[in-house]
Amino acid sequence: MSTTVLPDAPPADIAPPPARRRPRATLVGAVAIVVVLLGGLSVPYVITDTYTMGLALEAAMLGLPALGIGFLARHLGLISLGHSAFFGSAAYSVGIAVNRWELGLTAAVGFAVVVGAAISLLMGILVVRSSGMGFLMLTLALSMALWQLALQTSFRPLTGAHDGLLISAGNDASFLGLGPADVQNPGLFWPMVWVTLMLAALVLWLVGRSRFGVLLEGIRENEERMRFSGYDTFLPRLAAFVLTGVVASLGGALFAVNAGYVSPDILGFTRAGDTLIAVLIGGPASLAGPLVGTALFVWAQANLNFGGNLHLFTGLALIAVLVFMPGGLTGAVQRLSRRLRRGGRR
Amino acid sequence: MSLFEARGLTVRYGALAALTDVDIALEPGLVHGVIGPNGAGKSTFIDALSGRRRPSQGTVTYDGEDITRRSVRWRRAHGISRSFQRTSVFSSMTVRDQLEMVARRNAEPDLDQLVETLGLEEVADQVCGEIAYGTQRSVDLAIALIGKPRVVLLDEPCAGLVADESVRMLDHVRTLSRERDVAALLVEHDVEGVFRTCDTITVLDLGKVLASGEPAAVRADPGVVRAYLGSAA
Repeated sequence: MSTTVLPDAPPADIAPPPARRRPRATLVGAVAIVVVLLGGLSVPYVITDTYTMGLALEAAMLGLPALGIGFLARHLGLISLGHSAFFGSAAYSVGIAVNRWELGLTAAVGFAVVVGAAISLLMGILVVRSSGMGFLMLTLALSMALWQLALQTSFRPLTGAHDGLLISAGNDASFLGLGPADVQNPGLFWPMVWVTLMLAALVLWLVGRSRFGVLLEGIRENEERMRFSGYDTFLPRLAAFVLTGVVASLGGALFAVNAGYVSPDILGFTRAGDTLIAVLIGGPASLAGPLVGTALFVWAQANLNFGGNLHLFTGLALIAVLVFMPGGLTGAVQRLSRRLRRGGRR
Repeated sequence: MSLFEARGLTVRYGALAALTDVDIALEPGLVHGVIGPNGAGKSTFIDALSGRRRPSQGTVTYDGEDITRRSVRWRRAHGISRSFQRTSVFSSMTVRDQLEMVARRNAEPDLDQLVETLGLEEVADQVCGEIAYGTQRSVDLAIALIGKPRVVLLDEPCAGLVADESVRMLDHVRTLSRERDVAALLVEHDVEGVFRTCDTITVLDLGKVLASGEPAAVRADPGVVRAYLGSAA
C-alpha cells in the first residue's frame, strides 16, 4: 500500500493560471475535446492486441473518477479520496441490479449512476463545508465506511462480501446494442467508454468556464468574502461535488459491465489512494492532467510489476513528481511551454 | 430612529468581555468613526454588527427591524455590507472579473463609475494578487460598495497603507458616503484621519465606550485625552 503525506492545503500549483474570461479559449478547448473524441475512436484500429487494448480501456474507465478529482482540485482546491467510492458503489449497483432484480445492462447502468449521485449527494452534504486535510480525511473515512458495508457478512447475498460479485447478465443481455461477449471485448466496448469519457470532459470543461465556474473560483479563493458578497457557498460546492460524483459513477458502471465482476478491492483504501496518486502525477491543474496520469499509472501497473516492487515504483514516481514538478506532468509541460513562448518573444 | 443602530452590544469570549454595552447609530450620508487602542474591541464590534459573530447581548436594528440574528447573506442582500482589515479579495481573478461577479449578485447601476472613483480602471484587467497592496485595499472597498448598500462597515480600510494612500482612501470613503448616501462606519487606527473624515466619532477602550459625539467634542473630552490621545492631542 502506498502511503503519502499530503499537504494540508493544495499546493499553489494546483490552482490554474488566472482565468481571464475568454470565450474564444473556451470554444477552442471544446473543439479540441471533440477532435480528440473523434480521433480516439480509431484507437481499437491502431492497438490490435487485446491485452494492450484492455489496458487502454481500463485507463479510460479509471479516467472518469480522475477527471472528477481533478475538477474539484482545480476549481475548489479540494482533494478527494472519495471518488473511487462512487466508482465502486456504481459498479456494485450494476451487479446488484442485474443479479437481484434482473434489470437489463443499460437500465442497470442508469440505476448505478442514480445510486452514485445519491451517495455523492449524501457524502457531499457532510463534507463540502470542510477543506484541506479535513476534506481529504472525511472523504476517506466515508469511503472506508462503504467498503466495510460491502464486506458485511449479512450483505453476502447482495454484495458477495469478501468473494466479490459475479454479474450474471444472461446470454441474451445487451448493452446499447452490444451482446454479453461484446461488452467484455475491449475493442468493441472502447467506443462506449471513450465517448462517455470525452463527453464528461467536455461537460466539466464547459462548466468550469461558465459563470458557475467563476462562482466556484470565488469560493476557492475566498469563501468568506463570497458570503459577505451575498453568495451561498454551500450549494455550489455541493453541486460541483455531486457532478463529479456522477462522472466517477459512470466510470464504475461501465467498469462493471465490462468486467462482469466486482471485487471489494474496488472500494478499498489502495484504490482510493492510487486514483489520487494518478491525478497528482498527471497534474490536476489542467483538464488533461488526471487523464495522462491515469494512463501512465495503468501502464506502469502492467509493465513495472516485477519482483513485487510495484508500489516502490509508484512511491518513487510520486516523490519525484511532488518534489520536482509540483504541478504534475502536465503542469511541468505547461510551465515549459510558457517559458519557451516568453523566451521566443524576447 | 436611525437607519442602523446597535443597543447594549456585548460580546464575551468565555469569561472575557471583549465588548460591553456599546451603543451606536448610523445615518445615511454620514461617516461614523470608531477609534481606540489595540484590544479596544474595534474588530469585535464590527464583527458583531456585520453578523460575523453573534453578540452575547444587545440588539442590532436596521430600518427599525431587529436583525441581530440575521445571516451575513441576509444582511448583504438587504443593503448592509462590510470590508475587512486583512485584505479580503479574490487573488486569482482579475479586478474586473471579481467586481462583475459580485455585481451579478448585488445589482450595481454604475460599476464603471465606482471603478473610476476608486481609480481602478488601469488595473481592471490585471490579476488582483499581482497588483500593489494599496490598490488591493481599494478593490476590497469596491467589493463592499457594489450594489449600493445603504450601510457600509469598514474595518481599517487604511491598514498597511502609506500616508498619502491613507489620505486618498479616507477621501474615497468620505466622497462615496456622500455621493451614494451611505451610512458608513469607519473603524480605523489612523486617529487624525478619522477626525478629518468623520461626522461623529466613538472612542472605545477595553470594550467600553469612552466618549461619543462630534469630533471637536470628542477631542476635548478629558477622559479621551487621558486614556488615548495623550498630550499630543
